[in-house]
Amino acid sequence: MRQFAAALALALAASIVSAGSPPAASGSNVPDIETRRSGLQLAPMPRTAQLYATNCQGCHGEFGSSAAEIPTLAGRVGYFTRIPEGRRYLVQVPNVALNANSDADIAAVLNWLLATYSRAQLAADFQPYTASEVAELRQARIDVVASRRRIVDALLAAGQIPSADTLALPHIVLY
Amino acid sequence: MKPICSGRFDGLIESLSRGAAQLTSRRGFLSQCGLWLVAASSLPLLPVARRAQAGERPVAKPARKFASEFANHAQTNDPTRCNYWRYCASDGYLCACCGGGPHTCPPGTSPSPTSWIGSCINPDDGRTYLIAYRDCCGQDSCGRCACLGQEGDMPSYRPQVNNDIVWCFGASSMVYHCSSAGLVGLAE
Repeated sequence: MRQFAAALALALAASIVSAGSPPAASGSNVPDIETRRSGLQLAPMPRTAQLYATNCQGCHGEFGSSAAEIPTLAGRVGYFTRIPEGRRYLVQVPNVALNANSDADIAAVLNWLLATYSRAQLAADFQPYTASEVAELRQARIDVVASRRRIVDALLAAGQIPSADTLALPHIVLY
Repeated sequence: MKPICSGRFDGLIESLSRGAAQLTSRRGFLSQCGLWLVAASSLPLLPVARRAQAGERPVAKPARKFASEFANHAQTNDPTRCNYWRYCASDGYLCACCGGGPHTCPPGTSPSPTSWIGSCINPDDGRTYLIAYRDCCGQDSCGRCACLGQEGDMPSYRPQVNNDIVWCFGASSMVYHCSSAGLVGLAE
C-alpha cells in the first residue's frame, strides 16, 4: 500500500512537472528497489521543468507553494508582470539575478513558471522574457524588501491586485 | 674396533653412532635431504588450481562506465548503504537506517517542506534522475549510517545547492534527524 501510494505520488509529481508539453512516447520503469515492482514509469521532464526543479523547486515547491517563509508563486507571481518595475523585479531578485545559469535558461524558466503557476494573473499584454532582456536586467542589484513593498503599493494603487493581502508575506516569528 | 669411551652410557652412545656411521652414507643423507627441500619448496609452483585460497575475487567491474564516479560503484537494491544510487549527494544519516525509508521519514519526525534537488545516474539503466534531498526534522540526530555524497554539492555560499546545512526550513522544528532521497523525475 505504501509503495502504491509512493508510486501514485511520484506519478502525480512527474505529470505535474511535465505539464504543458506532451509526455515523451517511451517511459521506462525506474530500476530501483522501491519502484521495480510497482512498474512506475517516468516520462522525461522537459528542459524548462528540469531547470525549475533544480533551481527553484527545492524551496518554492513543485506546485509553486511551500513553507510560509517562502513566497508563494502559484496564483501570485504573475501579478508582478503587470507593471514595468514588477517585471524587472522578477529578474532582479538575488536568486534569479545571481543564478549560475545562462540568460537564455533564466528567461526560459521564468516564462515557464509564469505560464505554469500563474497564467491567470499575467499582464494582459504579457510578452515573454528574452535572453537579452534578462542579461541587461540581472546586472542591477536591488534592495529586495524596499523594491517589493514599492511594487505591491503601485499594483494596489493601479487596481491591479484585489487587496494588499494578495501579495503579502506572512510575518515570521522564528524563535 | 676398540671403543674410546670407558663409561657404560658413553659406550652405548658411541657404539650407536659408530653403527649409524657404518650403515648410512653421509652423501646419501645430504642428497635425500636436498631432494626433500627442493621438492617441498617447488610444490607450490606446480600448476594446481588455487582459487579457494585466493579469497574473494573482486567482481569484474565495468571500468568507468559513467561520467559520475559515484554511479560507477552504485547499486539499486539496498537503501541502507551509502552507495545506493540515490544518495550521490546525500549528506547525513540515512532515514532508511533510522526507521524510515529512502524517501519516507521515521515515525516522530516530519519531512521538511523545503529540499535541495540534485541529480544522480541510475547504474542499471544509465539514465539521470532528479532527486530531492529532504531532511526529516523534529527528533535529535539519528546517528546511524552517516553518508557523504557530494555530486553537485556547492560551497555554502550557494546555499540552495549545499548539503552541509540543515534543510529543515519551514518544518515544525529545525532539529535535524535524518536525510531522505525522493525521486522527482527523469531528466531529459
